[in-house]
Amino acid sequence: MNFQASSEQELLRTTVASIAQSFGHRYFVDQAATGGKATELWDALAEAGFCGVNLPLPFGGGGGMAELAIVAEETAAAGCPLLMFLVSPAICGEVIARFGTEEQQRRWLPGLGSGSSKMAFAITEPDAGSNSHRVATVATRRGDGWSLSGTKYYISGIDEADHVLVVTSTGTDPLTGRGQLTLFVVPTNAPGLSFTPISVGIVATEKQFTVTFDDVALSDDHRIGPEGGALRPLFMGLNPERIISAATLIGLGRYALAKAADYAKTREVWGVPIGSHQGLSHPLAKAAIDVELAALMTAKAAWQFDEGLDPAEASNMAKLAAADAALVAIDQAMQTHGGNGMATDYGLITVWGMARLLKVAPVSREMVLNYIATHTLGLPRSY
Amino acid sequence: MNVVVCVKQIPDPAAPQSLEPSTNTLDRSGKLILDDSDAYGVEMALQLVDKAGSGEVTLVSMAPNGEVAGLRTALAMGAAKAILVSDDALKGTDALGTAKVLAAAIKRTEFDLVLAATESSDGYTGTVPVQIAELLGLPSITFAKSVTIDGSTVKVDRQTEAGYDEVTAPLPAVVTVTAGVVEPRYPSFKGIMAAKSKPVDQVTAADLGFSAGDVGAAGSGQTIFAVADAEARSAGEIVVDEGDGAQRIVSFLEGLKVI
Repeated sequence: MNFQASSEQELLRTTVASIAQSFGHRYFVDQAATGGKATELWDALAEAGFCGVNLPLPFGGGGGMAELAIVAEETAAAGCPLLMFLVSPAICGEVIARFGTEEQQRRWLPGLGSGSSKMAFAITEPDAGSNSHRVATVATRRGDGWSLSGTKYYISGIDEADHVLVVTSTGTDPLTGRGQLTLFVVPTNAPGLSFTPISVGIVATEKQFTVTFDDVALSDDHRIGPEGGALRPLFMGLNPERIISAATLIGLGRYALAKAADYAKTREVWGVPIGSHQGLSHPLAKAAIDVELAALMTAKAAWQFDEGLDPAEASNMAKLAAADAALVAIDQAMQTHGGNGMATDYGLITVWGMARLLKVAPVSREMVLNYIATHTLGLPRSY
Repeated sequence: MNVVVCVKQIPDPAAPQSLEPSTNTLDRSGKLILDDSDAYGVEMALQLVDKAGSGEVTLVSMAPNGEVAGLRTALAMGAAKAILVSDDALKGTDALGTAKVLAAAIKRTEFDLVLAATESSDGYTGTVPVQIAELLGLPSITFAKSVTIDGSTVKVDRQTEAGYDEVTAPLPAVVTVTAGVVEPRYPSFKGIMAAKSKPVDQVTAADLGFSAGDVGAAGSGQTIFAVADAEARSAGEIVVDEGDGAQRIVSFLEGLKVI
C-alpha cells in the first residue's frame, strides 16, 4: 500500500493549480454572471494538454483517472469548478475509448484528449429521473441508419459542446419489459436537435439545458457499442463521473477551508484572531478531516479504475462523502465569515450552489445509499 | 545551438522559512522547488534552441540531498538533460564557491551560451552568474530584457534605470535574464510524463575536481555573524481632509519625488 503521489502527479498538481489560480474565482464568477463560459481557462488547460489526461496516449492523454482527478480537484480548489471534466473526458472519453470502434476512437478522441472539442452527456429525462430503464428518448432504425426523438434535461454545457453522447431506448426486453438502451454520439448541430437553457440559481460557467431530439437522423457509425447494449458502457462510464465529481467537491472543500483559515487567522473581534476560539476552530478542523477522508476514498476509486478493478463501491462512497464534506466545509467557512459569508466578494456563497448541485448530481445521495445498502451490506433492494 | 541554464532549487517561498542557527544560512533541508526566476532563463533557452533549429538545453544545478524536483519542472518545460551537483561537502558554500562549482559543471558540457537569472529568490546576491563568466573566461551581459542570436554573436537589450542598452558579445557568453525577457510556458502533460526519463547526471564535488577545503563552509570566504529582523513598518500618516487633503497628498508625493 502506497500513499505517495508520483513526481509526475505532484508536478501535474502544482502546474494545474498555477494555471487555474492565474484565473481564480473572480474570473469564474464574472464569467458565470455575464453568461460567459470558462473558455479562456479551459483553453489554457487544454494548451498544456491537461483536459484529457485520462485518455490513451495516442489521443493526447497517457495518464489515468487519478490524473484527471488531480486536474479537476486543483481547478476547483482555485475556485473554478468545471462540470465539463465530469462529462467530456470522464464519461464520454472513457466510453468511447473502451467501447467505440477504432474508427470512432480516431474520429472523436483526439478532440476530447486535447480539449479542442467537448462532448456533453445526455441521460436524464423529465419522466425517468434516476430510473434509466424508463428512458423515453427512442432511436428507431431508418434505412441503414437511425432516427432519434425525445427530450433530455439538465444537460450541462451542450451549448459549448461539439457532440453529445445520448442514452436512447431502442426496444423493450421481452422478458423484463425494461427498455433496451443504446448509445449514440450526436453532433450538436444536427438538424432536429435543439436546446433551451434551464434557469438555475447556481454560479456555474456551464449552463443547464433541456435538449430536444426531433427526428434526428444519424448514420449507424454514430452508435457506440452494440444495439441494446448500453448498460455495460454506462455502468463503466458513470464511475469516472462519480470520481471526478468527488475530486471537484474535494477541491471546493479545500478552497472553502483555505478561505476560512485565512479569515480566522486575521479577523479579530475581541483582541484575538477568531480562529483562536475553539467554537470556530474545531468545526473547521473536523471539516478538514472529512475532506481529507473523502480525498482518500476518491484516490482509492481512481486507483481501482486505473488498475482495471471494479471501482463502483469506492466511487459511490467517495462521491457521497465528498459532497457531504464539501458542503459542511463551505457552510462552516461561511459561518466563520459571519455576515461576510453571504457577500459574493468573499467567494463562499458563490461556490455553495455548485457543491449543492453535486450532492444530487450526477447520482443522488439516496441512490448511492441504495447501492451501498444492496451491494455492500447485502440488504434487499428497495426498488 | 546548445544552451546551458543555471537553475536553482529553493525552499518554497510560499512556505514558512527558517535559518540554521549555527550558520545563519537558510535551511534548505526540506523540499525544494524550481526558483520562479529561473523559469525565464529556461524559457529563453528553449526559444533560442527552437529558433536555431538544432541543439538542446542543459540544466546545471547545485542542491542538497540529490534534490531533483525543481529540475523535473524545467525538464518538463522542455530541457533535454541536467547536471546536478549534490554533495554534503558543499553545505555552507558561499556565492563564489557556488560559481566555481557551477563553472566546473558547465565545463562538462558543450555549450554556445549560458543563461541564468539576474539573482536567486532566496539568496539575492546576484553575483554568481558574472563570477561563472569570469571563471570560464567568457564575456557576460547582465539584466537582459531581450536576447537574440545572430550567427556567432549574442545581442542583448540590457535593462537600465533610464531605458536599455543594446549590447553584443561573441559566443560563447554568459547572459543573465530578467523576468521581462519572455513569458515562461507551463509544463505540458506530455512534458511532465517525459521528464522522468530525461537524464540527470548527478555528480559530487570530487567528480568536479574539488577537494575538501575548496568548497563548502571551509572554503567559504564569507561568514554570517548575525541576522537581525527587518525593522517593523511604522504606522502610516492618516490625512484627515479639511479642505486641504488633495494638497497634502501632493506634497507627500512630491517629498518622495514621485511626481
